[in-house]
Amino acid sequence: MNTSCTECGAGVVVPEDAIVGEIVSCKDCSAEYEVSEISNASVMLKPAEQVGEDWGE
Amino acid sequence: MKVSITFDRLRWEEKALKDAAEATGLQADLVDVKGLVFEVPKRPAELADVVLHRCISHYRSLLVSRAMEGTGVYVINSHAVAEVCSNKLATSIALAQAGVPTPRTFLTLTSEAVDTASDKLGFPLVLKPFTGSWGRMVTIVRDRETLQSLIEYREELANPMEHMYYMQEFIQRPPRDIRAIIAGDSIVACVHRYAPPGEWRTNVARGGTSKAFKPDRELKEMVLKAAEAVGGGVLGVDAMESSSGYMVHEVNNTVEFKGAQSAVGFDIPARIMQYVARSAKR
Repeated sequence: MNTSCTECGAGVVVPEDAIVGEIVSCKDCSAEYEVSEISNASVMLKPAEQVGEDWGE
Repeated sequence: MKVSITFDRLRWEEKALKDAAEATGLQADLVDVKGLVFEVPKRPAELADVVLHRCISHYRSLLVSRAMEGTGVYVINSHAVAEVCSNKLATSIALAQAGVPTPRTFLTLTSEAVDTASDKLGFPLVLKPFTGSWGRMVTIVRDRETLQSLIEYREELANPMEHMYYMQEFIQRPPRDIRAIIAGDSIVACVHRYAPPGEWRTNVARGGTSKAFKPDRELKEMVLKAAEAVGGGVLGVDAMESSSGYMVHEVNNTVEFKGAQSAVGFDIPARIMQYVARSAKR
C-alpha cells in the first residue's frame, strides 16, 4: 500500500501487514505518519504526534 | 479472557504483546486511547475488563489510568504505580523508604537553595527533570559554573516545574547499567545496557546496546524489592554497579523491551502476558 508524503511529495510505503495506529515514515524527508484507516487496499495517514517532553517509559 | 492493550503511539512492544497474548490464549485488542471518550464513570465500549496500559505520554497515561480505574476496569500497571514511577522524586522516596540502595537525592524548591544541596553532594552531580524518560535532560554537572548556567537557563523557562530541582550524586560505574524487566514477583529478563560511543547515558533510546546476563542473588533481591516498593506490576528496574554494591536509580512504568528482546533467547512479551493472565484471575 502506497501513499504520498504531504511534506515532500515522495511516496510513502505502508507495509501490507500494517495496522491502524502504526507509525510509518517518509524515506526521503523522515516525516512521520500514523495509519488512521485501512480499507480494502487503501490506507489513510495522518501526521504523527511529535515527540513530547513527557514521552518515555 | 479478553485484554485491551492501550497505547497512544504503537511501538514494536505493543504489537509484540498483542501477538504474545493471542499465543497465550488471551483475546487481545490494541486500543488507541487518543480515540477514547470517557463519560465519567462509564466504561468506554472499546475497553475490556482487563487492560495492559502502555501509553508513551506520562501525563496522558496518568489521566487515562485514573479514568479507566474509575470505570472498574482492572489496569496493569495501576494508577498508583504510574504516579510513583512517573515522578522521579516519588520513585526516590519509595525506594529509600523500602531500604533499596539508591543514589543520594536532593530536592530544592528554589534556585537559591541549589547551592546548599550541591555543597552536600559535591561535583560531579546529576541534574534530572522530575518527569521524563530515555535519559532526556539528564545532565552530568561537573562544576559550579556549569550548574549556575543550567539554573539560569531553567529559570527563564515558563514551566514552574523547571524552577525546582532534583539532583543526585554521580555514581562511578562501569560504562553500562542494568535493566531488569519485572512481571509481578518474577524477573523476566536482565540485561546490561552499554552506552554508545561519546555518550554516558545507556538508554537504548539513545543508542545503548543490550547484553543478557544472569543476575546474582543480591541483584535479584534488590530489583524485586524495588518493583515491590513502587507497587508492583510490569516494570523496568534500572540499577547500577557502584563501588559499594548495586543501586537502583529508576523504575519504569511502561517498560520498553525491544533492546532486551534482541539480547535474550526467550520470548519476553509472552512472559509478560502470562503474568497479565495470572494477575487478572486473582
